[in-house]
Amino acid sequence: MDKRIEKSPVRKQSFLSFQILQKATVLFLLVGLGLFASLRSPTFFTWANLVDNLLTNAAVLGIVAIGMTFVMVAGGFDLSVGSMTVVCMVVLVIAMDFLSPYGAIVAIGGAILLTALVGTALGAINGMLVSYVGVNPFVVTLSTMLVFRGLALILTGGGQSIQVADLALRDRFTELVFDKQFPIFGLQHQVSMPIVIFLIVFCVGIYLLKFTRFGHYLYAMGGNEEATWLAGVSTHRLKAATYAVCGLTCAFAAAIILANTTSAEASSRMGMELEVIASVIVGGTPLGGGSGGLVSTLIGLMLLRLIVNLMTQFEIGAEYRPVVTGLIIMVVVIIDVLAKKRSQK
Amino acid sequence: MDLNSGLILQMRGIVKDFPGTRALDSVDFDVRAGEVHGLIGENGAGKSTLMNVLAGRLGEYKGRIVFNGRRVTIKTPHQARDMGIAVIYQELRVLRNLTIAENIMLGEERAMPWTRRIDRSYIRQEASRVLEHLGFDLDPERKVEGLSTARQCLVEIAAAVRRKARLFVFDEPTASLGSEDVDRLFEVISELKSKGLGVVYISHRLAELPRVADRVTVLRDGRKVGTKDVAQCPIPEMSRMMLGHTLSEIFPEKTNKPGRCILKVDGLTRPGKFSDISFELREGEVLGIAGLVGSGRTEIGRAIFGADKARGLVELGGKAFFSRLPNKCCSRGVGMVQENRKTESNITGRTMAENLNISILERLAGRLGFQSPRRLNDRARRMIELMKIDPPRPKRQIQKLSGGNQQKVVVGRWLAAEPKVLIFDEPTQGIDIGTKAQMYRLIVKLASEGCGIILISSELIEVAKLSDRILIVRNGRLVGEMPGPIDDVDMLFEQCVAKRKLNG
Repeated sequence: MDKRIEKSPVRKQSFLSFQILQKATVLFLLVGLGLFASLRSPTFFTWANLVDNLLTNAAVLGIVAIGMTFVMVAGGFDLSVGSMTVVCMVVLVIAMDFLSPYGAIVAIGGAILLTALVGTALGAINGMLVSYVGVNPFVVTLSTMLVFRGLALILTGGGQSIQVADLALRDRFTELVFDKQFPIFGLQHQVSMPIVIFLIVFCVGIYLLKFTRFGHYLYAMGGNEEATWLAGVSTHRLKAATYAVCGLTCAFAAAIILANTTSAEASSRMGMELEVIASVIVGGTPLGGGSGGLVSTLIGLMLLRLIVNLMTQFEIGAEYRPVVTGLIIMVVVIIDVLAKKRSQK
Repeated sequence: MDLNSGLILQMRGIVKDFPGTRALDSVDFDVRAGEVHGLIGENGAGKSTLMNVLAGRLGEYKGRIVFNGRRVTIKTPHQARDMGIAVIYQELRVLRNLTIAENIMLGEERAMPWTRRIDRSYIRQEASRVLEHLGFDLDPERKVEGLSTARQCLVEIAAAVRRKARLFVFDEPTASLGSEDVDRLFEVISELKSKGLGVVYISHRLAELPRVADRVTVLRDGRKVGTKDVAQCPIPEMSRMMLGHTLSEIFPEKTNKPGRCILKVDGLTRPGKFSDISFELREGEVLGIAGLVGSGRTEIGRAIFGADKARGLVELGGKAFFSRLPNKCCSRGVGMVQENRKTESNITGRTMAENLNISILERLAGRLGFQSPRRLNDRARRMIELMKIDPPRPKRQIQKLSGGNQQKVVVGRWLAAEPKVLIFDEPTQGIDIGTKAQMYRLIVKLASEGCGIILISSELIEVAKLSDRILIVRNGRLVGEMPGPIDDVDMLFEQCVAKRKLNG
């Protein structure tokens, strides 16, 4: 067999380099744009812009993108993350109002715990419909996207913006979950709470996805679900679990958003799901799953956020944003498709 | 008819590489006008690859093709079709929701002048004309849905004749036909022949060739062994050319000794597939299940493994095993090597190591579910060595291995799980002869170590030579049992088909 392989070295080589090219494109764009920006704009390569601004803004989407990566690696996807996040925000406000008599710590802790449960439960509903009932994930999450959004509308009495009634509690919450800074790199270079939360979720996510059975099985399912099932893996349960993880990350994101904006509005965060899915895909986790991962997702997210940041830096109108984002997705996906075609021949 | 040479097709020095293997190694092949040319070889010998090159399904290839006296390059199925090459695949390409006439005329429809409406009467007339010309007794207005496989095949032939195809390739057409239909098909083929068209007939039922073919070409391991006139090549000679050696060389000596009963199946029934299947499997026994495609043999295996739901009782080690599912079977020591490697076994896009370890991750997990990459790699390496997987690179993606090595990975996956019962469904499909021999040795070795083995295969010779007992399955029922190993494969085949002739 070895002899046969040596007969066709040319094809293998060219294919290999092409695959690297595909993986490197996004990273290359990211570094290139970053270099370009730091040369052209004095305010770009500063702690205030990169960490306080770019990273903190990216944290919310980043956390949800982590959950989405779990779902997508296993071959599914979730359109309902925006709606789940909004429901979680509303639940958070209601729970804090309810728990406010018991003191700030209990109220905040209890409310976050409850919201985490609600988020997980909403995700689990998606998951069970997809895996046990066997409905296509697009259809399931499209319908729950509407249902959950409607739920938020009902809970807020028709879509008014709601806030925690107790002003002191509200401020405490913002201070704890959003404003709190950690002087990890000294007082001049503090890291905000959202980034810390993101990093923790990110590290746990990496551990789960790369170093546990759960993660191994998810990649296997993305490769070939039928075969994984026939290899003796309870794929249904695992698949449902990915959606639950995704719901949980929405709950975390909801806490950060609420701490930032202080009010929950049922009609906010529309289109968030597409931005999140775009980050995952640009990063290199394909629709259909089986490869990619959290580092890829982080790179993809950073690229998309960096473009937004740069457009603000260079005062390019917000009207150009969708076009640029869309083109980036298209280029990355085209390269991916070309690479696949090459490898199939 | 071509006057200058009488050759419709000439293929010279065809080379086709797949990642990891050379599927065709400078193969020559030609077809004369008015000739039926048999193409035979084992699974994986390159018959289908050669015909897929001809049909333009594989794109790039090396070598020279002359068709109808013109040098051609065929890179897409469209080109092949337009030139007049018609391939009738085993899975037919008819559209079941359309009528016979619409199928025959697909892609050749005409629009009415002015209104641009589709011209239905033209479709009907042309189709009837072709059907009449060929003497096919088919109603052009009938939907294809519900036609027998044989008749659907006729529809495809009619469509190809209508597009003025010069060369017909039949890819194992009789695999799913009853004997009357086979007779009818052979009549049609000789009719095509008498019209001066060329026919390539792929089969691995050697007994058919003297009835239908004029010449025969044998392929083995991607190379051409030879081309002979059928009249001067008796079946044993064909068989020797195909295999390259005699059978005793590839089947190992049986060293296993059946012991206590380990698996008991009682009244297993899956409506529409099989019913009332009861048998026992002993430790260290190879139990063969012989039957034709569609007899229910695969389904029985899948039901025991819990991949399909079925009624009836299964006992494992004396205890009833209810609510079986693949994951439960896996943890109780029952494994199954599936029939379709691509769709049911390979975890595509993932590495060999991951594919080898998938069924034992549960056992390898450390604290907090931690999977040590080094330990996973070690396990994979050990299995690669044991199974002699080549190239021995655990990080290589599974789909880039050759079929034989992929199969070794799949079997290795189950070996790692140290099963008490292992079900093999078509363990040697599409793998080379060396790997086959290795598979056979492995099966006997596993059995002599005490594993109970159920061997399901359409290669009856495997079942005949390796089994300690053979169960015969016909139309979803257990109709006989015989002790093995046996030498008379033809007798086993007769047992498998016996009733089918009556059903037509």
